[in-house]
Amino acid sequence: MTATLVVRNLSKSFLRPVIAGLNLSIAPGEFYALLGPNGAGKTTSLRMIAGLLQPDAGEVTVCGINVLTDPLEAKALMAWLPDEPLLYDRLTPLEYLEFVAGLWRVEPALAKSRAEELLETFGLWPQRNERCEGFSRGMKQKTILAGALIHEPKLFILDEPLTGLDAASARLVKSILQSRAAAGAAVILTTHILDVAQHLATRIGILAGGVLRAEGSFAELRTLDGDSSASLEDVFLRLTRP
Amino acid sequence: MKQAGFPWLFAHEIRLLWRGSILVRTQRHVLVPVIAVGIIFQAVALLIAWAGGKQNFSEAILILIANVNMIFLFFLMLARAMTSAIDVLYSRGDVDFLLASPIPPGRVLAVRMIGVAATVASPWLLLGGVLANGLAVFGHPNALALYVVIGGIAVLATAAAFSLVVVLVTRTGPAVARRISHSLSLVIGVVIFALGQAPRYLPKAPMLKFWQALMPNAATADSPLWLPGRAMLGQALPLAGFVLVAAALFWLVLALLGKNFASGAISAAAYAHGGRPGARTGHFRANPFAASMLKDLRLLLRFPGLATQTVYRSLTLVPVAMVLTGRIAIGGGPQVVVPLIVFLSGQLSLFFISVIIGSDQSPELFCSSPAQPATGRRAAYAAAGYGTLIIMALPVIGLLFREAGVFPVTVTFMLGAILCNLSLGQKLPIPLLRPQFGKARTGTVLGLILGVSISTAWAFCSWMLVTPNPLAILKLS
Repeated sequence: MTATLVVRNLSKSFLRPVIAGLNLSIAPGEFYALLGPNGAGKTTSLRMIAGLLQPDAGEVTVCGINVLTDPLEAKALMAWLPDEPLLYDRLTPLEYLEFVAGLWRVEPALAKSRAEELLETFGLWPQRNERCEGFSRGMKQKTILAGALIHEPKLFILDEPLTGLDAASARLVKSILQSRAAAGAAVILTTHILDVAQHLATRIGILAGGVLRAEGSFAELRTLDGDSSASLEDVFLRLTRP
Repeated sequence: MKQAGFPWLFAHEIRLLWRGSILVRTQRHVLVPVIAVGIIFQAVALLIAWAGGKQNFSEAILILIANVNMIFLFFLMLARAMTSAIDVLYSRGDVDFLLASPIPPGRVLAVRMIGVAATVASPWLLLGGVLANGLAVFGHPNALALYVVIGGIAVLATAAAFSLVVVLVTRTGPAVARRISHSLSLVIGVVIFALGQAPRYLPKAPMLKFWQALMPNAATADSPLWLPGRAMLGQALPLAGFVLVAAALFWLVLALLGKNFASGAISAAAYAHGGRPGARTGHFRANPFAASMLKDLRLLLRFPGLATQTVYRSLTLVPVAMVLTGRIAIGGGPQVVVPLIVFLSGQLSLFFISVIIGSDQSPELFCSSPAQPATGRRAAYAAAGYGTLIIMALPVIGLLFREAGVFPVTVTFMLGAILCNLSLGQKLPIPLLRPQFGKARTGTVLGLILGVSISTAWAFCSWMLVTPNPLAILKLS
């Protein structure tokens, strides 16, 4: 089966190397958690994968399309969710979804029904015609998530998607992402909530100092660590120790 | 532990206000240009004071002028103080943090109010102060009272602004309160402009009668109504009385608001109102350009202060309308409106594109989409250009009826000025109040200066083409 995301020898330096020779392959339906301490290069990696940052070296393909040479075709298959919920404060959630659907050329009638469904799902329907300026961080995060879902991407690139969400919303987002993965979409996310990675991810990558230190399922990481009863936190701390 | 004292807190407040000012946000080195401008102002003020000092006005006229100026100053400062009060009470987001600290809440409120008073007074102290210095140099030391009077007006305006803002926010929310403050400054600006233009379109005799009726006479000279004017002229007792009244009212407002401020009721009022509505209908389009243009138009229309800023910039249209309707005649004939229309088109388009760029909080969303990078730029041009053309349509149609021969030149140069300013604004947007630029973007004074230069160049060239005698514009007939 063709991998949804393939990253080969990806490197980037900002005065010092931030990412050095990153290799990843994520299959359709796979849920990949990229973990790492602060400054490990997680966000930089995701930004390069999303085509927002030019790498110094390496290659990124999404469903066989090269992100560097055919960025627009590749972006049509992706959804990018940044770590900060930067939303247009003066637009309403419905207007925001109109804009996103327009950018991804979603057929208007389909976009409208999906937008209504997503706003209902995320509990934003009562606020659909209110400007986002008064929204809490969690509500903004949910609006952006709805934007990421409206064009049904094949690859979700999510940087800390659960930050600011209450328990019910976090569970909702996790179940939505799981169902999208079950339907064949690939998900790559970063998170500092190790519990999320442990219970949701089919594979976990641990990044430190710009280098992928370890990769595999939770069980494989435990084996690699040599302690079959260790928690992901124990494994993570041991692998990222300077 | 020793509590943070008033001077420490005041210095902190002034630092925040200074760093939040448009000047500091847009320029790295501000002191040198500010001092240079101050010196130039002082030199000009000395010339004005020298010329003005020779005029012999009666005391009644001087008191009337002083009183009218004080009223205008009060309302201009009130509008500015209202916006600043909303910022320091509701937008900065540190009130709850300060209330949770061991600093007495009354001290926090007092410092905020004095900080706002200092902010609203400072530009007028610069403008009025240089004139007062000039008059003092040429034998009118009483003019120095202007410093005290401006401070007093600022204190009064701040007290009124805080009271109004608290009432308005409690009843309507901070957004409506901010709109009211913008509208107030717009109304004052338009009234001042209209009064300045009045001699051009009103007959002299009724105007003279009107001002004479307002002037203090033998029967009304001692009325307390004239005390502010007398204070401005430097008369000792009225000046002392004015300062005392201003201080007492300031203290009264501080005492009245202090209790609610301490209990958090004032800051909590902002959360009592639901979000503001947007469009009610869905406009889904499978077209990145259409979706981006619609988004840009919405951001443009919802920019705080858009109406005020647009009306201020469009005041140039008043003489245009008067020339086109034949109410006034300026040397050079009706063609004189051509450069005005061209200049205004350029300035409006630069303002609109800057608003759109300054409202783009999430430029990365577009970058992560499959839309062509140029699409976003074109959509912003289209939205800003559309806004400009809507405003300019009426004067251009008026010109077509009045002087059809200059229509092609007008439209060509208008479009030239608009396109140049749109390209400029995309790269160097002008500084704006309350922009929400995305990462690593900000407004710049260089954009403002270049924009004025570009619009002027296009306007000048259009004037050269439409008039046989370019210098005739200097003659008012």
